[in-house]
Amino acid sequence: MAAVLIVALDAANFMLALLLVTLGLVILFGLMNVINMAHGEMFLLGAYAVVLVERQGGGFWLALVLAPLALAVIGLLIEEVVIRHVYHRFIDTILATWGLSISLKQAVIIAFGPTAQQVENPLPQTVVILGTLYPVYRLFIMAVAVLAAAGTFLLFYRTSLGLVARAVIANRPMASSLGLNTRRMDRMTFAFGAALAGLAGAVMAPLMSVDPQMGVGFLIPAFLSILVGGTGTLLGTLLGTTLIAGAGTVVASVWTQITAQIVVFALAIVVIRLFPQGIIGARR
Amino acid sequence: MLRIRGLVAGYEDAGSVLEGIDLEVAAGESVALMGRNGMGKTTLLRAIMGLLRPTAGEVVLDGVALTGRPPFEISNAGIAYVPQGREIFRDFTVEENLRLGLLGKHGMATRVPDAIYARFPILAERRWQRAETMSGGEQQQLAIARAVVGRPRLLLLDEPSEGIQPSLVESIATTVSAISREDGTSVLLVEQNLDLVLALTTRCLFIDNGRIVDATESARLRDERGLLDRYLTV
Repeated sequence: MAAVLIVALDAANFMLALLLVTLGLVILFGLMNVINMAHGEMFLLGAYAVVLVERQGGGFWLALVLAPLALAVIGLLIEEVVIRHVYHRFIDTILATWGLSISLKQAVIIAFGPTAQQVENPLPQTVVILGTLYPVYRLFIMAVAVLAAAGTFLLFYRTSLGLVARAVIANRPMASSLGLNTRRMDRMTFAFGAALAGLAGAVMAPLMSVDPQMGVGFLIPAFLSILVGGTGTLLGTLLGTTLIAGAGTVVASVWTQITAQIVVFALAIVVIRLFPQGIIGARR
Repeated sequence: MLRIRGLVAGYEDAGSVLEGIDLEVAAGESVALMGRNGMGKTTLLRAIMGLLRPTAGEVVLDGVALTGRPPFEISNAGIAYVPQGREIFRDFTVEENLRLGLLGKHGMATRVPDAIYARFPILAERRWQRAETMSGGEQQQLAIARAVVGRPRLLLLDEPSEGIQPSLVESIATTVSAISREDGTSVLLVEQNLDLVLALTTRCLFIDNGRIVDATESARLRDERGLLDRYLTV
Protein backbone atom coordinates (compact mmCIF):
# COMPACT_ATOMS: atom_id res chain seq x y z
CA MET A 1 0.00 0.00 0.00
CA ALA A 2 2.68 2.47 1.04
CA ALA A 3 4.76 1.56 -2.01
CA VAL A 4 1.80 2.18 -4.30
CA LEU A 5 1.16 5.52 -2.66
CA ILE A 6 4.79 6.56 -3.08
CA VAL A 7 4.67 5.64 -6.76
CA ALA A 8 1.42 7.56 -7.17
CA LEU A 9 2.87 10.62 -5.45
CA ASP A 10 6.07 10.39 -7.49
CA ALA A 11 4.04 10.06 -10.69
CA ALA A 12 1.93 13.06 -9.75
CA ASN A 13 5.06 14.97 -8.85
CA PHE A 14 6.81 14.20 -12.13
CA MET A 15 3.62 14.84 -14.08
CA LEU A 16 3.10 18.27 -12.51
CA ALA A 17 6.74 19.24 -12.93
CA LEU A 18 6.52 18.16 -16.55
CA LEU A 19 3.29 20.11 -16.93
CA LEU A 20 5.11 23.21 -15.75
CA VAL A 21 7.78 22.79 -18.44
CA THR A 22 5.31 21.77 -21.14
CA LEU A 23 2.93 24.70 -20.54
CA GLY A 24 5.41 27.26 -21.85
CA LEU A 25 6.35 25.04 -24.76
CA VAL A 26 2.77 24.38 -25.84
CA ILE A 27 1.87 28.06 -25.60
CA LEU A 28 4.73 29.01 -27.90
CA PHE A 29 3.85 26.20 -30.30
CA GLY A 30 0.08 26.65 -30.22
CA LEU A 31 0.08 30.42 -30.39
CA MET A 32 3.10 31.26 -32.42
CA ASN A 33 3.78 28.06 -34.32
CA VAL A 34 7.32 28.14 -32.98
CA ILE A 35 8.93 24.89 -31.91
CA ASN A 36 11.19 26.25 -29.23
CA MET A 37 14.28 24.03 -29.15
CA ALA A 38 15.77 26.48 -26.65
CA HIS A 39 13.04 25.79 -24.10
CA GLY A 40 15.33 23.42 -22.19
CA GLU A 41 17.92 26.19 -21.94
CA MET A 42 15.32 28.65 -20.69
CA PHE A 43 14.54 26.08 -18.00
CA LEU A 44 18.30 25.88 -17.37
CA LEU A 45 18.57 29.67 -17.09
CA GLY A 46 15.73 29.64 -14.56
CA ALA A 47 17.73 27.24 -12.39
CA TYR A 48 20.98 29.22 -12.79
CA ALA A 49 19.09 32.40 -11.92
CA VAL A 50 18.51 30.79 -8.52
CA VAL A 51 22.24 29.97 -8.23
CA LEU A 52 23.10 33.56 -9.13
CA VAL A 53 20.64 35.18 -6.74
CA GLU A 54 21.76 32.91 -3.89
CA ARG A 55 25.42 33.78 -4.59
CA GLN A 56 24.53 37.46 -4.34
CA GLY A 57 23.06 36.77 -0.93
CA GLY A 58 19.40 36.74 -1.93
CA GLY A 59 17.39 33.85 -0.57
CA PHE A 60 15.71 31.07 -2.52
CA TRP A 61 12.24 32.62 -2.31
CA LEU A 62 13.45 35.89 -3.79
CA ALA A 63 15.12 33.88 -6.55
CA LEU A 64 11.88 32.04 -7.25
CA VAL A 65 10.21 35.38 -7.96
CA LEU A 66 13.12 36.90 -9.90
CA ALA A 67 13.81 33.89 -12.15
CA PRO A 68 10.57 34.04 -14.17
CA LEU A 69 10.86 37.82 -14.43
CA ALA A 70 14.42 37.52 -15.71
CA LEU A 71 13.35 34.90 -18.24
CA ALA A 72 10.46 37.09 -19.39
CA VAL A 73 12.97 39.82 -20.21
CA ILE A 74 15.30 37.33 -21.90
CA GLY A 75 12.30 35.98 -23.83
CA LEU A 76 11.41 39.48 -25.02
CA LEU A 77 14.99 39.98 -26.20
CA ILE A 78 15.11 36.64 -28.00
CA GLU A 79 11.79 37.35 -29.69
CA GLU A 80 12.88 40.78 -30.85
CA VAL A 81 16.37 39.78 -32.02
CA VAL A 82 15.83 36.27 -33.43
CA ILE A 83 12.31 34.81 -33.51
CA ARG A 84 10.60 37.85 -35.03
CA HIS A 85 12.58 37.34 -38.24
CA VAL A 86 11.70 33.69 -38.74
CA TYR A 87 7.92 33.59 -38.13
CA HIS A 88 6.17 32.12 -41.18
CA ARG A 89 9.24 29.97 -41.77
CA PHE A 90 8.45 26.94 -39.68
CA ILE A 91 11.64 24.93 -40.28
CA ASP A 92 13.78 28.01 -39.72
CA THR A 93 12.26 28.52 -36.27
CA ILE A 94 13.55 25.07 -35.33
CA LEU A 95 17.02 25.87 -36.65
CA ALA A 96 17.07 29.31 -35.05
CA THR A 97 15.97 28.11 -31.64
CA TRP A 98 18.33 25.15 -31.85
CA GLY A 99 21.21 27.56 -32.48
CA LEU A 100 19.94 29.64 -29.61
CA SER A 101 19.87 26.59 -27.37
CA ILE A 102 23.55 25.86 -28.11
CA SER A 103 24.53 29.49 -27.55
CA LEU A 104 22.68 29.76 -24.26
CA LYS A 105 24.17 26.51 -23.00
CA GLN A 106 27.71 27.63 -23.90
CA ALA A 107 27.07 31.01 -22.29
CA VAL A 108 26.10 29.22 -19.08
CA ILE A 109 29.27 27.07 -19.24
CA ILE A 110 31.40 30.20 -19.72
CA ALA A 111 29.70 31.98 -16.85
CA PHE A 112 29.32 29.14 -14.33
CA GLY A 113 31.64 26.39 -15.58
CA PRO A 114 30.67 22.90 -16.73
CA THR A 115 30.35 21.40 -13.26
CA ALA A 116 27.13 20.94 -11.34
CA GLN A 117 25.97 23.59 -8.90
CA GLN A 118 24.05 22.84 -5.75
CA VAL A 119 20.94 24.65 -4.68
CA GLU A 120 19.99 23.88 -1.12
CA ASN A 121 16.51 22.54 -0.49
CA PRO A 122 14.62 25.41 1.15
CA LEU A 123 12.01 23.05 2.65
CA PRO A 124 14.00 19.99 3.81
CA GLN A 125 11.23 18.72 6.10
CA THR A 126 9.18 15.63 5.43
CA VAL A 127 5.53 15.10 6.12
CA VAL A 128 3.55 11.95 6.85
CA ILE A 129 0.91 11.18 4.24
CA LEU A 130 -1.22 8.11 5.05
CA GLY A 131 1.61 6.63 7.04
CA THR A 132 4.29 7.39 4.44
CA LEU A 133 7.05 9.96 4.72
CA TYR A 134 7.12 12.40 1.83
CA PRO A 135 9.36 15.45 1.24
CA VAL A 136 7.54 18.75 1.75
CA TYR A 137 9.39 20.41 -1.12
CA ARG A 138 7.98 17.93 -3.60
CA LEU A 139 4.50 18.86 -2.44
CA PHE A 140 5.45 22.51 -2.87
CA ILE A 141 6.48 21.87 -6.49
CA MET A 142 3.15 20.19 -7.12
CA ALA A 143 1.32 23.18 -5.67
CA VAL A 144 3.32 25.60 -7.84
CA ALA A 145 2.54 23.54 -10.96
CA VAL A 146 -1.17 23.38 -10.16
CA LEU A 147 -1.25 27.13 -9.54
CA ALA A 148 0.69 27.89 -12.73
CA ALA A 149 -1.59 25.65 -14.81
CA ALA A 150 -4.74 27.10 -13.25
CA GLY A 151 -3.39 30.62 -13.68
CA THR A 152 -2.58 29.97 -17.33
CA PHE A 153 -6.04 28.52 -17.88
CA LEU A 154 -7.73 31.52 -16.26
CA LEU A 155 -5.54 33.92 -18.19
CA PHE A 156 -6.44 32.33 -21.51
CA TYR A 157 -10.10 31.54 -20.92
CA ARG A 158 -11.32 34.16 -18.48
CA THR A 159 -9.62 37.44 -19.45
CA SER A 160 -9.81 39.84 -22.37
CA LEU A 161 -6.10 39.34 -22.96
CA GLY A 162 -6.68 35.60 -23.26
CA LEU A 163 -9.58 36.16 -25.64
CA VAL A 164 -7.31 38.24 -27.86
CA ALA A 165 -4.58 35.60 -27.67
CA ARG A 166 -7.02 32.86 -28.69
CA ALA A 167 -8.35 35.03 -31.52
CA VAL A 168 -4.79 35.46 -32.79
CA ILE A 169 -4.32 31.67 -32.71
CA ALA A 170 -7.62 31.03 -34.47
CA ASN A 171 -7.19 33.54 -37.28
CA ARG A 172 -4.17 35.84 -37.20
CA PRO A 173 -4.95 37.94 -40.32
CA MET A 174 -8.55 38.51 -39.20
CA ALA A 175 -7.49 39.33 -35.64
CA SER A 176 -5.06 41.89 -37.01
CA SER A 177 -7.74 43.33 -39.31
CA LEU A 178 -9.89 43.95 -36.23
CA GLY A 179 -7.16 46.16 -34.81
CA LEU A 180 -5.68 43.60 -32.44
CA ASN A 181 -1.95 44.24 -32.14
CA THR A 182 -0.54 40.88 -33.16
CA ARG A 183 3.05 42.08 -32.70
CA ARG A 184 2.41 42.90 -29.07
CA MET A 185 0.67 39.56 -28.58
CA ASP A 186 3.72 37.80 -30.06
CA ARG A 187 6.05 39.61 -27.67
CA MET A 188 3.88 39.00 -24.62
CA THR A 189 3.31 35.37 -25.51
CA PHE A 190 6.99 34.68 -25.97
CA ALA A 191 7.83 36.44 -22.73
CA PHE A 192 5.12 34.46 -20.92
CA GLY A 193 6.32 31.14 -22.33
CA ALA A 194 9.89 31.95 -21.35
CA ALA A 195 8.80 33.03 -17.87
CA LEU A 196 7.01 29.71 -17.36
CA ALA A 197 10.20 27.86 -18.39
CA GLY A 198 12.16 30.04 -15.96
CA LEU A 199 9.72 29.32 -13.15
CA ALA A 200 9.95 25.60 -13.87
CA GLY A 201 13.76 25.68 -13.82
CA ALA A 202 13.87 27.72 -10.62
CA VAL A 203 11.38 25.60 -8.72
CA MET A 204 13.07 22.34 -9.80
CA ALA A 205 16.59 23.56 -9.04
CA PRO A 206 16.76 22.32 -5.41
CA LEU A 207 15.87 18.77 -6.48
CA MET A 208 18.18 18.51 -9.47
CA SER A 209 21.83 18.73 -10.18
CA VAL A 210 22.03 22.20 -11.68
CA ASP A 211 24.35 21.65 -14.63
CA PRO A 212 24.38 22.74 -18.28
CA GLN A 213 22.70 19.49 -19.40
CA MET A 214 19.72 19.65 -17.04
CA GLY A 215 17.35 21.11 -19.63
CA VAL A 216 17.49 18.14 -21.99
CA GLY A 217 16.04 15.73 -19.47
CA PHE A 218 12.76 17.60 -19.39
CA LEU A 219 12.63 18.83 -22.96
CA ILE A 220 12.17 15.42 -24.59
CA PRO A 221 9.27 14.24 -22.41
CA ALA A 222 7.77 17.72 -22.77
CA PHE A 223 7.81 17.45 -26.56
CA LEU A 224 6.41 13.92 -26.32
CA SER A 225 3.59 15.19 -24.11
CA ILE A 226 2.66 17.80 -26.71
CA LEU A 227 2.74 15.24 -29.52
CA VAL A 228 0.61 12.84 -27.52
CA GLY A 229 -1.83 15.38 -26.09
CA GLY A 230 -2.17 17.63 -29.11
CA THR A 231 -1.69 21.37 -29.27
CA GLY A 232 -5.35 22.35 -29.58
CA THR A 233 -6.18 22.86 -25.95
CA LEU A 234 -4.58 23.07 -22.53
CA LEU A 235 -6.57 19.96 -21.65
CA GLY A 236 -4.55 18.07 -24.25
CA THR A 237 -1.37 19.21 -22.54
CA LEU A 238 -2.71 17.96 -19.23
CA LEU A 239 -3.55 14.58 -20.75
CA GLY A 240 -0.22 14.30 -22.55
CA THR A 241 1.86 15.03 -19.48
CA THR A 242 -0.26 12.69 -17.36
CA LEU A 243 0.25 9.85 -19.80
CA ILE A 244 3.97 10.39 -20.37
CA ALA A 245 4.86 11.06 -16.74
CA GLY A 246 2.48 8.45 -15.36
CA ALA A 247 3.71 5.67 -17.62
CA GLY A 248 7.35 6.66 -17.07
CA THR A 249 7.17 6.72 -13.27
CA VAL A 250 5.11 3.58 -12.88
CA VAL A 251 7.29 1.51 -15.20
CA ALA A 252 10.48 2.88 -13.65
CA SER A 253 9.26 1.87 -10.19
CA VAL A 254 8.63 -1.72 -11.27
CA TRP A 255 11.53 -2.23 -13.69
CA THR A 256 14.31 0.21 -14.50
CA GLN A 257 14.63 3.76 -15.75
CA ILE A 258 15.74 2.41 -19.13
CA THR A 259 12.70 0.17 -19.51
CA ALA A 260 10.59 3.19 -18.61
CA GLN A 261 12.18 5.22 -21.40
CA ILE A 262 11.50 2.45 -23.91
CA VAL A 263 7.89 2.06 -22.78
CA VAL A 264 7.27 5.81 -22.90
CA PHE A 265 8.67 6.15 -26.40
CA ALA A 266 6.74 3.09 -27.60
CA LEU A 267 3.57 4.47 -26.05
CA ALA A 268 4.12 7.83 -27.71
CA ILE A 269 4.65 6.18 -31.09
CA VAL A 270 1.45 4.15 -30.74
CA VAL A 271 -0.62 7.16 -29.65
CA ILE A 272 0.75 9.35 -32.44
CA ARG A 273 0.03 6.57 -34.93
CA LEU A 274 -3.58 6.34 -33.72
CA PHE A 275 -4.11 10.06 -33.18
CA PRO A 276 -1.79 11.98 -35.52
CA GLN A 277 -3.20 15.29 -34.20
CA GLY A 278 -2.77 14.22 -30.59
CA ILE A 279 -5.45 12.77 -28.36
CA ILE A 280 -7.21 16.12 -28.30
CA GLY A 281 -6.21 17.38 -31.70
CA ALA A 282 -6.44 20.90 -32.99
CA ARG A 283 -9.97 21.62 -34.12
CA ARG A 284 -10.84 22.00 -37.81
CA MET B 1 -11.44 60.48 -47.76
CA LEU B 2 -9.97 57.25 -49.14
CA ARG B 3 -7.56 57.94 -51.96
CA ILE B 4 -5.72 55.19 -53.82
CA ARG B 5 -3.08 56.00 -56.42
CA GLY B 6 -1.31 53.59 -58.76
CA LEU B 7 -1.72 50.63 -56.41
CA VAL B 8 0.16 47.51 -57.54
CA ALA B 9 -0.13 44.34 -55.47
CA GLY B 10 -0.31 40.59 -55.87
CA TYR B 11 0.90 37.27 -54.60
CA GLU B 12 4.48 36.05 -54.48
CA ASP B 13 3.92 33.02 -56.68
CA ALA B 14 1.32 34.48 -59.03
CA GLY B 15 2.71 37.91 -59.84
CA SER B 16 0.76 41.13 -59.51
CA VAL B 17 -3.02 41.10 -59.67
CA LEU B 18 -3.57 44.83 -59.27
CA GLU B 19 -1.89 46.72 -62.08
CA GLY B 20 -2.24 50.30 -60.90
CA ILE B 21 -5.53 51.01 -59.18
CA ASP B 22 -6.75 54.59 -58.87
CA LEU B 23 -9.90 55.26 -56.91
CA GLU B 24 -11.45 57.62 -54.42
CA VAL B 25 -14.25 57.24 -51.92
CA ALA B 26 -15.66 60.43 -50.40
CA ALA B 27 -16.69 60.76 -46.74
CA GLY B 28 -20.08 59.12 -46.22
CA GLU B 29 -20.15 57.83 -49.78
CA SER B 30 -21.00 54.23 -50.70
CA VAL B 31 -19.22 52.86 -53.73
CA ALA B 32 -19.62 49.48 -55.41
CA LEU B 33 -16.82 47.63 -57.11
CA MET B 34 -17.90 45.13 -59.73
CA GLY B 35 -16.04 42.84 -62.04
CA ARG B 36 -15.51 39.22 -63.01
CA ASN B 37 -13.84 36.75 -60.70
CA GLY B 38 -10.06 36.94 -60.70
CA MET B 39 -9.98 40.59 -61.76
CA GLY B 40 -8.63 41.73 -58.40
CA LYS B 41 -11.64 42.80 -56.31
CA THR B 42 -10.75 40.80 -53.21
CA THR B 43 -7.05 41.50 -53.75
CA LEU B 44 -7.80 45.23 -53.71
CA LEU B 45 -9.70 45.03 -50.41
CA ARG B 46 -6.92 42.91 -48.89
CA ALA B 47 -4.30 45.39 -50.07
CA ILE B 48 -6.23 48.33 -48.58
CA MET B 49 -6.51 46.44 -45.29
CA GLY B 50 -2.76 45.78 -45.24
CA LEU B 51 -3.15 42.00 -45.50
CA LEU B 52 -1.20 42.20 -48.70
CA ARG B 53 1.83 44.43 -49.08
CA PRO B 54 1.55 46.63 -52.17
CA THR B 55 4.64 46.75 -54.38
CA ALA B 56 3.84 50.25 -55.65
CA GLY B 57 1.33 53.04 -55.23
CA GLU B 58 -0.27 54.52 -52.14
CA VAL B 59 -3.34 54.19 -49.94
CA VAL B 60 -4.27 57.37 -48.08
CA LEU B 61 -7.10 57.78 -45.56
CA ASP B 62 -7.94 61.37 -44.61
CA GLY B 63 -4.44 62.50 -45.52
CA VAL B 64 -2.71 59.71 -43.55
CA ALA B 65 -0.59 57.35 -45.64
CA LEU B 66 -1.43 53.74 -44.81
CA THR B 67 0.61 51.97 -47.46
CA GLY B 68 2.71 49.13 -46.05
CA ARG B 69 1.32 49.44 -42.51
CA PRO B 70 0.21 46.29 -40.66
CA PRO B 71 -3.55 45.56 -40.61
CA PHE B 72 -4.00 46.40 -36.91
CA GLU B 73 -2.71 49.94 -37.53
CA ILE B 74 -4.90 50.33 -40.60
CA SER B 75 -7.86 49.13 -38.55
CA ASN B 76 -7.09 51.72 -35.89
CA ALA B 77 -6.82 54.39 -38.58
CA GLY B 78 -10.53 53.78 -39.24
CA ILE B 79 -10.92 51.03 -41.85
CA ALA B 80 -12.95 47.89 -41.09
CA TYR B 81 -13.09 44.74 -43.19
CA VAL B 82 -15.78 42.11 -43.67
CA PRO B 83 -13.99 39.45 -45.68
CA GLN B 84 -15.46 37.04 -48.16
CA GLY B 85 -16.51 33.94 -46.23
CA ARG B 86 -17.05 36.12 -43.13
CA GLU B 87 -14.17 34.65 -41.09
CA ILE B 88 -15.96 34.97 -37.79
CA PHE B 89 -14.39 33.19 -34.82
CA ARG B 90 -16.47 30.05 -34.95
CA ASP B 91 -15.60 28.64 -31.52
CA PHE B 92 -16.30 31.93 -29.75
CA THR B 93 -19.64 33.33 -28.65
CA VAL B 94 -21.37 36.16 -30.48
CA GLU B 95 -20.51 38.48 -27.61
CA GLU B 96 -16.83 37.46 -27.73
CA ASN B 97 -16.70 38.02 -31.48
CA LEU B 98 -18.08 41.51 -31.00
CA ARG B 99 -15.70 42.27 -28.13
CA LEU B 100 -12.80 41.35 -30.39
CA GLY B 101 -13.95 44.18 -32.65
CA LEU B 102 -13.37 46.57 -29.74
CA LEU B 103 -10.43 45.25 -27.72
CA GLY B 104 -7.80 46.41 -30.19
CA LYS B 105 -9.19 49.90 -30.68
CA HIS B 106 -7.40 52.70 -28.88
CA GLY B 107 -9.54 54.70 -26.49
CA MET B 108 -12.72 52.70 -26.90
CA ALA B 109 -14.83 50.99 -24.25
CA THR B 110 -14.31 47.23 -24.16
CA ARG B 111 -17.97 46.58 -23.41
CA VAL B 112 -20.17 45.87 -26.41
CA PRO B 113 -22.61 48.82 -26.60
CA ASP B 114 -26.34 48.05 -26.51
CA ALA B 115 -26.74 50.11 -29.68
CA ILE B 116 -25.07 47.39 -31.72
CA TYR B 117 -27.52 44.78 -30.44
CA ALA B 118 -30.39 47.17 -31.14
CA ARG B 119 -29.17 47.40 -34.71
CA PHE B 120 -28.74 43.62 -35.08
CA PRO B 121 -31.59 42.18 -32.96
CA ILE B 122 -30.87 38.62 -34.02
CA LEU B 123 -27.41 38.90 -32.46
CA ALA B 124 -28.97 40.00 -29.17
CA GLU B 125 -30.96 36.77 -29.17
CA ARG B 126 -27.85 34.73 -29.98
CA ARG B 127 -25.54 36.70 -27.69
CA TRP B 128 -24.18 33.77 -25.65
CA GLN B 129 -24.33 31.20 -28.42
CA ARG B 130 -21.25 29.91 -30.21
CA ALA B 131 -20.97 31.68 -33.55
CA GLU B 132 -20.72 28.45 -35.54
CA THR B 133 -24.20 27.39 -34.42
CA MET B 134 -25.80 30.25 -36.36
CA SER B 135 -27.06 30.28 -39.94
CA GLY B 136 -25.00 31.79 -42.76
CA GLY B 137 -27.08 34.95 -42.76
CA GLU B 138 -26.71 35.39 -39.02
CA GLN B 139 -22.97 34.83 -39.28
CA GLN B 140 -22.80 37.50 -41.98
CA GLN B 141 -24.62 39.93 -39.70
CA LEU B 142 -22.14 39.06 -36.96
CA ALA B 143 -19.22 39.75 -39.29
CA ILE B 144 -20.69 43.14 -40.20
CA ALA B 145 -21.54 43.98 -36.59
CA ARG B 146 -18.00 43.00 -35.52
CA ALA B 147 -16.62 45.37 -38.15
CA VAL B 148 -18.83 48.37 -37.31
CA VAL B 149 -18.74 48.02 -33.50
CA GLY B 150 -15.36 49.79 -33.62
CA ARG B 151 -16.99 52.75 -35.41
CA PRO B 152 -14.88 52.74 -38.57
CA ARG B 153 -14.95 55.61 -41.06
CA LEU B 154 -14.67 53.24 -43.99
CA LEU B 155 -16.25 49.81 -44.23
CA LEU B 156 -14.91 47.28 -46.74
CA LEU B 157 -17.48 44.61 -47.62
CA ASP B 158 -16.51 41.59 -49.71
CA GLU B 159 -19.53 39.81 -51.23
CA PRO B 160 -21.81 39.98 -48.18
CA SER B 161 -24.67 38.42 -50.17
CA GLU B 162 -22.75 35.23 -50.90
CA GLY B 163 -24.62 32.13 -49.75
CA ILE B 164 -27.45 34.07 -48.10
CA GLN B 165 -31.15 33.90 -48.81
CA PRO B 166 -32.64 36.93 -50.67
CA SER B 167 -34.77 38.18 -47.76
CA LEU B 168 -31.67 38.47 -45.59
CA VAL B 169 -29.74 40.27 -48.33
CA GLU B 170 -32.43 42.93 -48.18
CA SER B 171 -32.18 43.25 -44.42
CA ILE B 172 -28.39 43.51 -44.64
CA ALA B 173 -28.77 46.28 -47.21
CA THR B 174 -31.17 48.16 -44.92
CA THR B 175 -28.90 47.82 -41.89
CA VAL B 176 -25.70 48.83 -43.67
CA SER B 177 -27.29 51.86 -45.36
CA ALA B 178 -28.69 52.95 -41.98
CA ILE B 179 -25.20 52.69 -40.47
CA SER B 180 -23.72 54.60 -43.38
CA ARG B 181 -26.35 57.32 -43.17
CA GLU B 182 -26.44 57.75 -39.40
CA ASP B 183 -22.74 57.37 -38.61
CA GLY B 184 -21.41 58.86 -41.84
CA THR B 185 -19.50 55.65 -42.57
CA SER B 186 -18.18 55.29 -46.10
CA VAL B 187 -18.64 51.91 -47.76
CA LEU B 188 -16.62 50.15 -50.43
CA LEU B 189 -18.67 47.16 -51.54
CA VAL B 190 -17.45 44.28 -53.68
CA GLU B 191 -20.55 42.52 -54.94
CA GLN B 192 -22.08 40.53 -57.79
CA ASN B 193 -25.64 40.91 -56.51
CA LEU B 194 -27.19 43.80 -58.44
CA ASP B 195 -30.01 44.33 -55.92
CA LEU B 196 -27.54 44.89 -53.10
CA VAL B 197 -25.45 47.25 -55.23
CA LEU B 198 -28.57 49.25 -56.12
CA ALA B 199 -29.85 49.34 -52.55
CA LEU B 200 -26.57 50.34 -50.96
CA THR B 201 -24.40 52.40 -53.29
CA THR B 202 -24.59 55.58 -55.32
CA ARG B 203 -21.59 54.98 -57.57
CA CYS B 204 -20.26 51.84 -59.21
CA LEU B 205 -16.72 51.15 -60.44
CA PHE B 206 -15.75 48.36 -62.80
CA ILE B 207 -12.50 46.48 -62.43
CA ASP B 208 -10.91 44.53 -65.25
CA ASN B 209 -7.47 42.91 -65.25
CA GLY B 210 -6.37 44.82 -62.17
CA ARG B 211 -7.41 48.28 -63.32
CA ILE B 212 -10.48 50.45 -62.75
CA VAL B 213 -11.79 50.73 -66.30
CA ASP B 214 -15.21 52.31 -66.00
CA ALA B 215 -17.62 53.99 -63.61
CA THR B 216 -21.27 54.90 -63.49
CA GLU B 217 -23.99 56.01 -61.12
CA SER B 218 -25.45 52.91 -59.50
CA ALA B 219 -28.99 54.10 -60.26
CA ARG B 220 -28.24 53.87 -63.97
CA LEU B 221 -27.04 50.27 -63.81
CA ARG B 222 -30.48 48.91 -64.67
CA ASP B 223 -30.63 50.95 -67.85
CA GLU B 224 -27.03 50.50 -68.89
CA ARG B 225 -27.04 46.74 -69.22
CA GLY B 226 -24.14 47.12 -71.63
CA LEU B 227 -21.70 47.85 -68.79
CA LEU B 228 -22.80 44.80 -66.81
CA ASP B 229 -22.55 42.63 -69.91
CA ARG B 230 -19.11 43.92 -70.76
CA TYR B 231 -17.53 43.64 -67.32
CA LEU B 232 -19.50 40.92 -65.58
CA THR B 233 -20.59 38.31 -68.06
CA VAL B 234 -18.00 35.66 -68.63
